[in-house]
Amino acid sequence: MNTVNEPRKATTPAQTASPRGAWASHWAPELRILLVAVLLAAYFQFVNHDFLLSNASLVNLSQYVAPVAIIAFGEIMLMIGGDIDLSAGMVFAFAPFMMVFANDAGAPMWLAVIAGLIAAAIIGFVNGAVTVFLRLPSFVTTLGTLFLINGITLTVSRGTPAATPGSPAFAAVMGAWGYSEIIWTVAIAFVMHVLLRHTRWGLHTQAAGANALGASEAGIHVNRLRLGNFVIAAVLAGFTGILESFRITSIDPQAGGNQIMFLAVAAAVIGGTPLTGGSGTIVGGLLGAAVLGILSDGFTLIGINAFTFNIILGAAILAAMIFNIHVGRIRRKGAR
Amino acid sequence: MAQDRDDDAKDSSLISAGRRGIMQGAGLGAALSLLGGVTGGGGLISSAQAAEAAFPQHKKWKIVFVNHVTTNPFFVPTQYGIQDACAMFGMDYQWTGSATSDAGEMVRAVNSAIAAKADAIAVPIVDPNAFDKPIQAALDAGIPVFAYNADAPRGKSNPRLAYIGQDLYLSGYQMGERIASMIDSGMVALFIATPGQLNIQPRLDGASDAIKKSGKKIDIQTVATGATVNEELSKIKSFYLGHQDLKGMFAVDAGSTQGVAQVMKESNLPSKGVHGGGFDLLPQTIQLIHEGFLDFTIDQQPYVQGFYTVMEAFVFLASGGLVGPANINTGLKFVTKDTVEPYLNTSTRYEGKTTKPQIVPMKGAIKS
Amino acid sequence: MAEPLTAPAASADLALRGDNLVKRFGAVTALDGVSLSLGKGEILGILGDNGAGKSTLVKILTGFHQQTSGTLSVHGEETLLKSVDHARALGIECVYQDLALANSLSIYHNMFLNREIVRGGPARLLRLVDHKQMRERAAQCLEDIGVHVPSVDLPVERLSGGQRQAIAVARAVHSNARILLLDEPLAAMGAREAALIIDLVMRLKEKGGLSIIMIMHNYAQTLDIADRIMLMQRGRVTYEQRSANTSVAELMDIVRREYRAMRATTAG
Repeated sequence: MNTVNEPRKATTPAQTASPRGAWASHWAPELRILLVAVLLAAYFQFVNHDFLLSNASLVNLSQYVAPVAIIAFGEIMLMIGGDIDLSAGMVFAFAPFMMVFANDAGAPMWLAVIAGLIAAAIIGFVNGAVTVFLRLPSFVTTLGTLFLINGITLTVSRGTPAATPGSPAFAAVMGAWGYSEIIWTVAIAFVMHVLLRHTRWGLHTQAAGANALGASEAGIHVNRLRLGNFVIAAVLAGFTGILESFRITSIDPQAGGNQIMFLAVAAAVIGGTPLTGGSGTIVGGLLGAAVLGILSDGFTLIGINAFTFNIILGAAILAAMIFNIHVGRIRRKGAR
Repeated sequence: MAQDRDDDAKDSSLISAGRRGIMQGAGLGAALSLLGGVTGGGGLISSAQAAEAAFPQHKKWKIVFVNHVTTNPFFVPTQYGIQDACAMFGMDYQWTGSATSDAGEMVRAVNSAIAAKADAIAVPIVDPNAFDKPIQAALDAGIPVFAYNADAPRGKSNPRLAYIGQDLYLSGYQMGERIASMIDSGMVALFIATPGQLNIQPRLDGASDAIKKSGKKIDIQTVATGATVNEELSKIKSFYLGHQDLKGMFAVDAGSTQGVAQVMKESNLPSKGVHGGGFDLLPQTIQLIHEGFLDFTIDQQPYVQGFYTVMEAFVFLASGGLVGPANINTGLKFVTKDTVEPYLNTSTRYEGKTTKPQIVPMKGAIKS
Repeated sequence: MAEPLTAPAASADLALRGDNLVKRFGAVTALDGVSLSLGKGEILGILGDNGAGKSTLVKILTGFHQQTSGTLSVHGEETLLKSVDHARALGIECVYQDLALANSLSIYHNMFLNREIVRGGPARLLRLVDHKQMRERAAQCLEDIGVHVPSVDLPVERLSGGQRQAIAVARAVHSNARILLLDEPLAAMGAREAALIIDLVMRLKEKGGLSIIMIMHNYAQTLDIADRIMLMQRGRVTYEQRSANTSVAELMDIVRREYRAMRATTAG
């Protein structure tokens, strides 16, 4: 790419049109992980013919994918900026309880849900404020809030599960009906994708993640972005907890926890968002969650027992990530 | 005949494993008589083969056991029971669920089993609401569902076909009565791993009720200790160190009981007049009862929680759903220093201590 | 010994003029009475070692710092630059050494960083960005100043060092700059890449409407590009001259003399 311009000569204009090759190149990371997902699904379908092609299986699979995906979208916005939210799994358990309390206090269900989301947003704001203004690494901040929120949840719930309130119709829309979770997931994915690639907020988040100093030199309010993204991540985690509480008709203080947070981060990384920040992909996060869901569901269906389960899941995650990241590196090197 | 003696020994080991366990239900009686009838046959056919001959060739039915603490040592004998029964009945099993009592994970596992067209599902109902829908969905799909180890609370309409396990409230109540008989007044700590969970909360409720009913001036403090054994020990230790004037420490789950026993030994509490007790037969627990540090433990016989569940599933499937499901109370026996000997000296598959298959010979009179 | 300054043009003809700028940070004096002038359409080269005060001067000229004393005139009007945004509003743009580019973003995204074009119509409420327009305008701008890239969709991390610098310069120019400051634009560049940038700067000058200050450390290159040069040492301007009227040897002589004088004082 080292072309030297000859002075004072007309030069060919830079291209603006995007030929098809450019489209594929633009979506390359997502296409790669899509390939991995398709291969895995094909494998499981081959080994266990009930994996995909029945209503029950699809609903089941979608319920593995949905919660991890939605939390992943929030983590991705943070990871782009070099941050992370470790407390997501705990906010997941906390928000539904706030919803129940609001409902008990007399609020109609839709308002109670909003109350739960506001409670989650407050936690996100605290995470963001401490990280940005007190200048703590987000890992440390959210590690602290992880335990804090877990404790608060256990205390206000007295450690006991509560029944999920609301009419059957409301519950069906909010996660109880089989496909409702995945529909929410796709809708949120669409919104988050547009946010990331087609709004100033998203573009600035990417810029600030790639070069915080440079972005602030360009006049971008980097701190505002980080704070806002912490709130977004917490609200998404809280919303996921609320959806799940309608799905299993029970609000459990032990729910979520660190497991789902790690899965969400893994989904983001498998999908092509590096932990070190600078770039990210929402669609990739959705596909990464799909890969994890396919692995979990597939192994359960073919009968792997609980003890060996994690060995195989861990190995599969490593393999998927190595494939994705390695190929990405080769592409970047080759392009220069 | 040789195999008769073998079979008798097997039958009696089954019964001795039951001890005071009361086996109820016509269906269960039918299943046992089926077995008994078969073993009456002559010839050199082993009992297993004879059992098979009574049932024509059938598909290797698969039963999915969903569990709430898949890695907890309490369920090791349960898994052995499942394995042995599956070997006997020509079935296959899968052990899955959550390691952290996560109801969401367990529900997903049940749904996966339905999607995988399992032949039977067994699940402890540890959450009062979360399992209603999935179990109904399984039944609608033609898959029988049994609850083991934990059942839906009284008054709730959960559609599971049968419950195989301990009468949880009653066992707690009896423990409470025993506590009231040992302690006249003072503070008593009741430790529970995960409050609200249906396989242990009823015990705690029963114990509290019995203690209150006794009228004695006993101040009960409930302490949550966590789902893993390591956490439980630390929490119990800390609690004791902060409340050294307590009169008793009792637990309602296996891990916490072991923790209580260890703390009682470390701080030499019996010599200070403190009493302790709990549930289940983890190795440390039995050892420390033998050494006199723990007053009692209550056996709920995890081996048969697995074995009988598989057996019920088999009968249900073999008869096309005509016979089978019946609640089985897997027992409630207080094990104290006087009766702990046999547990110590035997290292059997039935207590989960070894993987070797074996028949344990009966010795002497049957103490109850 | 400092040569007498060349007579400054009348203020009104100057793009930028600084009189006796002093900047102190606590006990440290970074600028000790610096005066400079930048004519319209001129390229001024500022030379000097590290610690000479060049970066501080740049920060004052771009509004990042305010001077402790002294005056600044922009386009003939005396002004106190309150902030970077204020300086930008007056048409003063700077390309820093780190280029302030977001590596993972495309060329056209970078060129419109924080100045994105928002779609009109109903999408206006959502404030969705207009990629198509930004692409076209970026491509047009690059064509205008003669920078060649295969596609404005390429992420800047895929470009060579010279191309990245060119993009950063293009961004500054595109933002309606009238006064452009380039901080060490040729640092860490090989000859070929440097030629790319030098050509670009010459083209910009030819196009007109732009006055340029370049902070440099390579005497030969500076005399080649700049119309006038200014030598700074220890917070002061020690020499100012039209490039044509001086030489590398002469500049090095001045520097050596100053250096020896400094050694004498510290040794004593």
